[in-house]
Amino acid sequence: MTTFLIRRLLLIIPTLWVIGTLTFFMMRFAPGGPFLAERDIPAAAKEQLERQYGLDRPLHEQYLKFLANSVRLDFGPSYKYPARQVTEIIFEALPVSLELGAWALLLAVLIGVPIGVIAAVRQNTGADFAAMAAALAGVSVPNFVLGPILVLGLSLSLFVFPPALWSGPQSRVLPVLTLSTAYIAYIARLTRGGMLEVLRQDYIRTARAKGLSEFTVVAKHALKLGILPVVSYRGPAAARVVMGSIVVESIFAVPGLGQHLVRGAFNRDYTLVLGVVLFYALFLMLLNLLVDISYTRLDPRVELA
Amino acid sequence: MRPVTLLRLLAAAAALALLSCAPAQRADVQTASSGKRWFGDLSPPAENVFTYANGAEPERIDPGLMSGQPDGRIARALFERLTSPDAKTLEPRPGQAYRWDLSPDGLTYTFHLRPGIVWSDGRPVTAHDFLWSWMRVLEPVTASRYATFLYPVANAEAYNKGELKDPAKVGLAAPDDSTFVVRLGQPTSYFLTLTYFYTCLPVPRQVIEKHGARWTRIENIAGNGPFRLSYWRQNDRFEMVRNPTYWDVANVKLDRVVAYSVDDLNTCTNLYKAGVTDWNPSGYLPAQYIPYMRDYADYRTGRYQATYFYSINVTRPPLDNVWVRRALNLAVDRETISRDLLKGSRDPWGNLSPSGYPGYQHPPGITYDPEKARECLAKAGYPGGKGFPKISILFNTSEDHRRIAEAIQAMWRRDLGIDIELSNQEWGSYLQATTSLQYDIARRSWIGDYLDPNTFLEMWRTGDGNNRTGWSSPQYDALLRRAAAELDPTKRFALLAEAEALVLDQGIVIPIYHYSTVELLKPYVKGLYQTALDVHPLQHVWIDREWQTRPGPVAADPRAATDQAGPGSDGTR
Repeated sequence: MTTFLIRRLLLIIPTLWVIGTLTFFMMRFAPGGPFLAERDIPAAAKEQLERQYGLDRPLHEQYLKFLANSVRLDFGPSYKYPARQVTEIIFEALPVSLELGAWALLLAVLIGVPIGVIAAVRQNTGADFAAMAAALAGVSVPNFVLGPILVLGLSLSLFVFPPALWSGPQSRVLPVLTLSTAYIAYIARLTRGGMLEVLRQDYIRTARAKGLSEFTVVAKHALKLGILPVVSYRGPAAARVVMGSIVVESIFAVPGLGQHLVRGAFNRDYTLVLGVVLFYALFLMLLNLLVDISYTRLDPRVELA
Repeated sequence: MRPVTLLRLLAAAAALALLSCAPAQRADVQTASSGKRWFGDLSPPAENVFTYANGAEPERIDPGLMSGQPDGRIARALFERLTSPDAKTLEPRPGQAYRWDLSPDGLTYTFHLRPGIVWSDGRPVTAHDFLWSWMRVLEPVTASRYATFLYPVANAEAYNKGELKDPAKVGLAAPDDSTFVVRLGQPTSYFLTLTYFYTCLPVPRQVIEKHGARWTRIENIAGNGPFRLSYWRQNDRFEMVRNPTYWDVANVKLDRVVAYSVDDLNTCTNLYKAGVTDWNPSGYLPAQYIPYMRDYADYRTGRYQATYFYSINVTRPPLDNVWVRRALNLAVDRETISRDLLKGSRDPWGNLSPSGYPGYQHPPGITYDPEKARECLAKAGYPGGKGFPKISILFNTSEDHRRIAEAIQAMWRRDLGIDIELSNQEWGSYLQATTSLQYDIARRSWIGDYLDPNTFLEMWRTGDGNNRTGWSSPQYDALLRRAAAELDPTKRFALLAEAEALVLDQGIVIPIYHYSTVELLKPYVKGLYQTALDVHPLQHVWIDREWQTRPGPVAADPRAATDQAGPGSDGTR
């Protein structure tokens, strides 16, 4: 277990290096630059800015400097928001994105798993068909369609929730709902599949034969294994929640990290994009590691080596 | 959960979906007095708080360095310049200076500062602060993007470009704490309107020297304007409260201003409709809403000092041939684009400079004439479009730009028999292509910087950084030089009109439409007017809780005034 952890943690370093290097050169080879504007910037001012940010140095020198800075977790000031350090921007926006993502995943599990269980237990009944049809619809509707529909219905027509912004508990509802819908649906399908497989196994028959109530059989014996596909989905789901939140953050004006990634790329804000990309990568790798660890807790047959 | 419950849930979801598709009429209110229909929630805020959507997160709130409209709106609330613009007409009213004189030769402005004015940290505001702030903008090391606004000041341009090293030679002086003297290089009739621009706002030297680039952070910043910063979170909001040390604080009626940093246009409009914001400034209403919104009383529109056009790279054949350029220009049916594509939200425009300059007579604009266009193309050696090489129209990725480009592509095919390709690029690549002349025909737009046609003409001079066509005409450069030296306003305008006519005749640009401002304003907001420079001094704004019982709301006054947004021409993106 310890060697496994150490090995996985060490693997993170070369992965981050590759991602950082790719991002660095992709940003630099993209046409345009941070100081190009529709309205011309005087040549002297542009030179001055490039000097300030070290962009007048040879590219390999800039690259080495970037590597050195990354090791120290100091990406320097953002090009677009020069009064702010990139790390400062990330640590201010991260809690917002995390909160949004955590609520969405929690909601997805809380609703998705019971729906999946019911569908499995009542396989091929009306309930199953209805749940799976709803799940299909949920997976199919992209969040940039669902978001505006929810705003129109719950905010502009009924005035229940604010249409955007991130202040107060009410403002959380629509973005979390929008972000979680696809996962509710997907988790419901995964749970159903896992449960169907488990419910046919011998130890379930044994449990029933012992005279346990159906509820105990399903909730205590079957669910523990039946939910494994959902657990392994949690890693990729977290990744997709993060990516999906870019759209949701934009629709609902949520001051999270996703917005910085998109705008940073458009603005050629080299330091901000590099910082955010590396941060995302690190975050996702740690999440995947956690998923692998939690496997062993649920299924003793899985061993980490 | 039993199946029945699940079905009920599904039914509820379906009902919700249906409901959300129904038009949201509940909040639309007709006022008894005017019979006008208003959009969305109409309950005034409980406190004297004014809330608006400010667009994308401002890059900076350092007035000397900033370059965007959202940035400017924040800066103008936190700082005050020498003169304070009138809320309606923008005529200069006493601000930090209580009076000013212009010498008879039109070259020297002397500003007399109000006694007792202070920064919000308690330090007095002196003429030396203005001198330092303007010199800071001109220092090459500051790299201010809009230093050009101060170029009319004697020797300012040379100093900013590093050609002149001695700061004492720049025409700015503070003989004592309360007198600020500005000497111009040549008479500039629009100089006072130039100083409206945020680049000319004073900044607190003591704070900047202490904190460097981080001086604008909430814990450091000091201002001299009607409001001071009380809260800020990136991509979220700015909150400002009344500044008790402001000289005219007695007339500031708002306790607080909240500016949300929201850049999605649909989100901005939703916030307005839900009553979260009281004002949706111009530029934040999605174009497709316009036909629907036009009938509401919140909707205010006016001419905007900006034009939309295509510029032509004259260094590439066949566009180096003036007859080809004329043919392309004459074969654009601007009326149809405006009426059918833009639903009348923009006026067709065949001129380079927009309307709204009193006394300026535009040269005749270009109008649609397919017959003449074909003649021009034949003169260029491509009768009926035969043998015309493949060229393309470049635009930055946007649905509206694409639709217009497609329409023009179809017009040229129909009227000239030529085939044009379309090419869209995202913003950064598009800028790179236009600045380095890597294009044939490119979508462009320009917002005037000050109220004078010169702001639309000087960019076509030889080698100007905004020219981006490769066009160079000694005759044109000479006309602009003569106009600049001309003291008689009528003669000066005549020279500028001649210059504009030359640009149009040479066909280096294809004018397409005239921008309009379109904003939404709640009926209980008073003191916020449409102005010629899209400057809205917030110290005059107040919340009227009894608006329903008063005769006549602040009505939309279509076409009453021109309205524009300062440069940072990103606004027309």
